[in-house]
Amino acid sequence: MEFNKEKQRENIESFIRKMPSLSTTVGKVMEICSRTDASPNELNKVISLDPILAGQVLKLINSAYYSLINKVTSLTRAITMLGMNTVKNIALSTAIIRTVSGVKKSRALPTAKFWEHSIGTGVSARLLGEVKGYSPMEREELFLAGLLHDLGKVPFGDEYIEVLNIAKQDQQSLIEVERDLIGIDHQEVGLMIAEKWKLNKVITECITTHHEIDRLDGGAGQQVALVALANIYTNILDHGYAGDPFPDEEDIARLLQLVDLSHDVFGTIGARVIDEIHKSELFLRT
Amino acid sequence: MRGSIPSPGLATMKYGGNTACVELRVGPDNRIVIIDAGSGIRALGNSLMADNLVDDSIKADIFLSHTHWDHIMGYPFFIPVYSPGSVIKVYGPVTFEDDPLEDIVGGQMKYRYFPVNLGELSSNIEYIRLNENPFIDLGDGLELSTKLLNHPITSLGYRFEYDGKVVCTCYDTEPFSNLFITDPNAPGYDEAMALEGEEVATELNMVIEQFFAGADLLIHDAQYTEEEYRRRRNWGHTSIEYAIAAANRAGVKKLALFHHDPDRTDDQLDEFAKKFCDPGYPGDTEVFFAREGMVVEL
Repeated sequence: MEFNKEKQRENIESFIRKMPSLSTTVGKVMEICSRTDASPNELNKVISLDPILAGQVLKLINSAYYSLINKVTSLTRAITMLGMNTVKNIALSTAIIRTVSGVKKSRALPTAKFWEHSIGTGVSARLLGEVKGYSPMEREELFLAGLLHDLGKVPFGDEYIEVLNIAKQDQQSLIEVERDLIGIDHQEVGLMIAEKWKLNKVITECITTHHEIDRLDGGAGQQVALVALANIYTNILDHGYAGDPFPDEEDIARLLQLVDLSHDVFGTIGARVIDEIHKSELFLRT
Repeated sequence: MRGSIPSPGLATMKYGGNTACVELRVGPDNRIVIIDAGSGIRALGNSLMADNLVDDSIKADIFLSHTHWDHIMGYPFFIPVYSPGSVIKVYGPVTFEDDPLEDIVGGQMKYRYFPVNLGELSSNIEYIRLNENPFIDLGDGLELSTKLLNHPITSLGYRFEYDGKVVCTCYDTEPFSNLFITDPNAPGYDEAMALEGEEVATELNMVIEQFFAGADLLIHDAQYTEEEYRRRRNWGHTSIEYAIAAANRAGVKKLALFHHDPDRTDDQLDEFAKKFCDPGYPGDTEVFFAREGMVVEL
């Protein structure tokens, strides 16, 4: 089966044109989270400007995970009690997932499964970054890059169901089937969104080259390799679903070599990945 | 005893150079409750084993205030954990993004740091994660409540009650403070935020005082003097002056000032004691500086 490629591309471009810009809130939360000198006032203000986000953040803080005896009812209180960093992390993940999930409910990739895969990749990338000695700020960037690496799959229409089926039946790599059938792959689509959202260079490169395993030298090559490994690892764990469950042993070997790690690293991060995924998925329940 | 890091030497012999470890003996059976596994737990372990030559094992509950290193570093040197018959429960909080308690405490027992691996411990050890909780029944009439304190990682205060007697710990912590900009001329100032920040901090501090209200013994963080604290805000520790005032407000009977700064000499502590423990110092609470090996009967 082959679809009209021109029509497909047009549909995707039109979808991205209609996609909301990364809301001011999310953009600002991202900016504040990447600065170490941001004040509690700034964080409080940027979250408060968006009442829905503020509500979601408070809901999470009051979730069973913290088991606070007294309910936290204001952001000022949340920041005073739990500190800037905790509130920052919660706000950021909540805001991003909401923005992307709000766009469209994909029939091909169920939202919850898709985000489970994305969170798994983000969490694994962050842990791999820790093993590699990245700074806390760089690790957060890896988390975001992992969370967003498959963003380009969101705009595909219902035809994508066919792409997923063929990839599964033929045990072919998803990106090749995308190119064959639709004429555009999720890395290319991801680039369009990254440009629209003005995402930074590292995150953009992770979105646009995480399957280009043979040419990951220079630039953000190392970060991309970590996200690519995290992506494959999450697929092996069978956590969530983003349609690409057949890892290539050669790819894994090449990536491990690129980042100078051995297979043992999966054992090192294994237990923590599951634990962190579990915690991070609180975001999906709001 | 000292906070942060063991500080042995001539200048710390009187109050002790080991990091935090408190032993409670409860009830007619002398039930063993240990709070924190700082370097002081090594000597405690040795004395517990020496007291129990019959079957070479003990039963104990260990409560960790938090998992900063100075509060867990003694754990691999606590001999009872290697004794096959010992039954030990380790309770403590973990921070949101951290590993399970077992990995945090046991993570020190890896070959790269220590000759024995966690999996090789022969005693029966259970790890139990704690959150803020107003009532935990520890059995045999011993009750516990826990309170989230203010420290860079999750740190819990403990309130033990048995037969009408109350022992509380409140460390590592510092008073909650208004984190928001309070200078009306500073960029980003917001009056409502400044006021609410103040209100919340005051209320959270009151809740902690209610937590240790009426305690027969309160063991409280008192790492700094008020003057030092002004330069060490947000480091997670309290001033001596604040701890004394809070204990008095809460009607505490005895206050043990705890977690002395590692650079504090015995001579300095003796000097402080002359001032702060003098009956003429304001307040009814009996105040003393905690000393290694000190025994308080309640």
